[in-house]
Amino acid sequence: MLTREHAIARIEDGIVVPDRLIRSKHAHYSVLAKSAVRVYEEGRGRTRRELHSAIHRVFANELDCPIRRIDSFCKLLDERGTFETDEKGLASKLRREVFRKASVHHPLVSHVDKLFGNAEFKVKDLIASSFSKSWMELQEGMFRDLIENHTLLEFQPFANPVELLSRYNIAQTQVALFDAVEVIVQMREDFKSIVRYAKLARLMHRIQRTSDGYRIALDGPASLLQNTSRYGVSMAKFLPGLLSCRGWSLSASIRKPKWGRLRLLLDAECGLNSSVVGPSEFDSSVEEKFYERWKNADTLGWSIERETEILSQGQSAFFPDFVFRHQDGRVAMMEIIGFWTPEYLEHKRKSLSLFPKDNLFFAIHQSIDSPSLQIDERPVLRYKTSISVETVLRTLQEAMK
Amino acid sequence: MLGASQQHIQSTNQPCLEFSEGTLSLRGCKSEVLRSTYGKSAWEWDSRSQSWRAFAMSYSKMAEQLSTQPHSIQDLVPAWQRVNWNNVLLPELRAEQKQAVEAWSTTRSGVVIMPTGTGKTEVALRIMADQCCSTLVVAPIRDLMYQWHRRILAGLQYDCGIIGDNTFNVKPVSVTTYDSACIHMPALGNRFKLIIFDECHHLPGPIRSDAARMSAAPYRLGLTATLDDHDHRSDLIQKLLGPVVYRLGIEEVKGTTLADFDIYRIQVKLTEREQHRYDFLASQVSSYVYERRTEDTEFDWNQLCKDSSENPDARRTLKAFREKQSIEDRADAKLDVIEDLLRLHHGTPMIVFAGSNAMARDISLRFLIPCLLSQCGKAERLDYLDGLRDGVYPAIVANQILDEGVDIPAVKIAIVVGGMASTRQAKQRLGRILRKSGNERAILYEVVCADTNEIARSRKRRKNDAYSRTRNRKN
Repeated sequence: MLTREHAIARIEDGIVVPDRLIRSKHAHYSVLAKSAVRVYEEGRGRTRRELHSAIHRVFANELDCPIRRIDSFCKLLDERGTFETDEKGLASKLRREVFRKASVHHPLVSHVDKLFGNAEFKVKDLIASSFSKSWMELQEGMFRDLIENHTLLEFQPFANPVELLSRYNIAQTQVALFDAVEVIVQMREDFKSIVRYAKLARLMHRIQRTSDGYRIALDGPASLLQNTSRYGVSMAKFLPGLLSCRGWSLSASIRKPKWGRLRLLLDAECGLNSSVVGPSEFDSSVEEKFYERWKNADTLGWSIERETEILSQGQSAFFPDFVFRHQDGRVAMMEIIGFWTPEYLEHKRKSLSLFPKDNLFFAIHQSIDSPSLQIDERPVLRYKTSISVETVLRTLQEAMK
Repeated sequence: MLGASQQHIQSTNQPCLEFSEGTLSLRGCKSEVLRSTYGKSAWEWDSRSQSWRAFAMSYSKMAEQLSTQPHSIQDLVPAWQRVNWNNVLLPELRAEQKQAVEAWSTTRSGVVIMPTGTGKTEVALRIMADQCCSTLVVAPIRDLMYQWHRRILAGLQYDCGIIGDNTFNVKPVSVTTYDSACIHMPALGNRFKLIIFDECHHLPGPIRSDAARMSAAPYRLGLTATLDDHDHRSDLIQKLLGPVVYRLGIEEVKGTTLADFDIYRIQVKLTEREQHRYDFLASQVSSYVYERRTEDTEFDWNQLCKDSSENPDARRTLKAFREKQSIEDRADAKLDVIEDLLRLHHGTPMIVFAGSNAMARDISLRFLIPCLLSQCGKAERLDYLDGLRDGVYPAIVANQILDEGVDIPAVKIAIVVGGMASTRQAKQRLGRILRKSGNERAILYEVVCADTNEIARSRKRRKNDAYSRTRNRKN
């Protein structure tokens, strides 16, 4: 991730617009990106300072390019590299030796007089020759351990140099989120993945139903007590996962000194391409096949949807695998339990105890000992290799009694 | 299927008070009970967790009210413990230090203000020795954190935990930095009964102050040399740590605990080449600013930074401004002055404070005197500081890392080359050379470029009372 020192954003009518490279305006950047990536690909053995000034040279003649944008490219390229960091402390050792050797010659003066006879250049030559080096060579080694003097060992190339630009776009949006006090995501699809990414980023959520899906508000424990951008970094971490999902829009409440409250807006079609792989359509082939069969069967007025309901209580959220809606307005949900370990069943039992929903029923694999789940009072259907439409319809009727 | 990170929600019936990520969480308590115990606005209802919430710093108040009530609320907050010191080897305190300890002990929550060099650390160590409880010491920077570690080891014979500098070793007594404290307090806020903020003027800041807000420690001590009255920062510190319980002014200790001191300001001229370049850059900056101001009278630095994204001229102006600053900072003539001072005070240990890392290295390489940089390891730093004390090195050079609190040998001469305008920094730097040893007067030289902004910064610095007797020397 970038840091605040790299942030570029403009503010239009209370909206934060992070810097973004777009094809129509920055087509020539793909050529520049190629040259920039090549600097690192061919940069083994060069210091960070050399690499950075080479990157600055790549963009030197580019009129539309703030210094921070160039610095950001340096940072994003650095992140793909491994650097020699002088872990053995050779530079430190050398410095101490040089200062010790010099200690008997102080003060080192530029003009020798009667009192002080140690000329700077003579002392330096003397010390350098004791290391069998020139002073310039010696001096270079003395501060090898500074970050800007670290040398590049390895560089993990991008699949395509243009990826540098898409990473840049996401990184700028992430930095803008550092000042976020709250993020609200309106979800129409992929609820489960979005909530999961929010939890992975250690954010707290509040879920609300809306006319076309769910609205989830994200912040942290202390947000309730004080407006704080403390969780902004977590919100930035949440972004790449969110970008891999479908059917959402985001509105972040941003607090900047002197500006007061601002907003940052994004949606699934905003054109930021995440490097995170999107959620897969189905968790298992059992689900996928059942869904296909249902679509082609006569289902007595019941239509099927995948994970379109969220049952939530406090910070626990539960996404039944399938939701069935009848023409007459009735709704039922089915959860498939096909995989198990004792811990998994125990975990499941605890979560299910939070959601005493009447219209929830279960499809449980034959091998699972259902009493351990303590869901006896709810309708259950058993399956072996596949779930049949007829059984589900029968259980549905039972569940809706 | 279930979400991957399902959480287990506790469903005990007895009301309980818990520490939860830097806040207090109260479950199973009816709002009438809550109101009768704590009053109206102490708690906020959190629908997300189905519990009442307040900042952890209010714990001591909440616990006190809790204990006066008949309702049985289970208090699960304290995870701190008693600490038994094996052997306390602390020096006898001076009178003013004793007063400070006594003053703090009456409230066990408050700020102690004492000038640099008057032994704040000993006051804190004495308090730790008396309280015998889990303690976290928060220091501004890594160096100071390590120094606290050494002082605790020497004085209390306790090898304390370190949280920060890529280490996460939590013990009942631990040291950390402000940055790490702020990051980790949601996880550690109930592990320490006493929390000590060294140089506590660093605490204000919207997120930084979470280090105090998210701690449940009932005992709180802030240490600082400077805390201006009628200042919102000062108000915030007192809100987070308690009132000022003891204050010792710099005038009260001058000449007794601290050495007497003189300040000389030395102006240097840029070389012809530097001046030429400087003027060129200055005109570039001012003509751009002038032009922009005719369109927009409010035009300022922030606007310039903003412009630089779209306007190559603004970018050039920004670059010119930075180069201009760098010329001032690293002016050749400053090295000449340092040479003169090294000649003049040959045989007397000296510290040079540089305005930037680059200048610190320039000075170090020009005179082959050690330079203390942030990447110096513990051993290297000790080597240099001991070497200065033992006369191996005539001087050492440092950037801001020596600005406060780092124990350094008693030096009588300091040279400040460039640097920022804050009065606090000036006070800290001054404090450094004022340590009492013998009756010699201490000298502080301030080397600035003539006819540049540095003069203005130096003037601002001298507004500080300690600088009131500055003399000028023309070079």
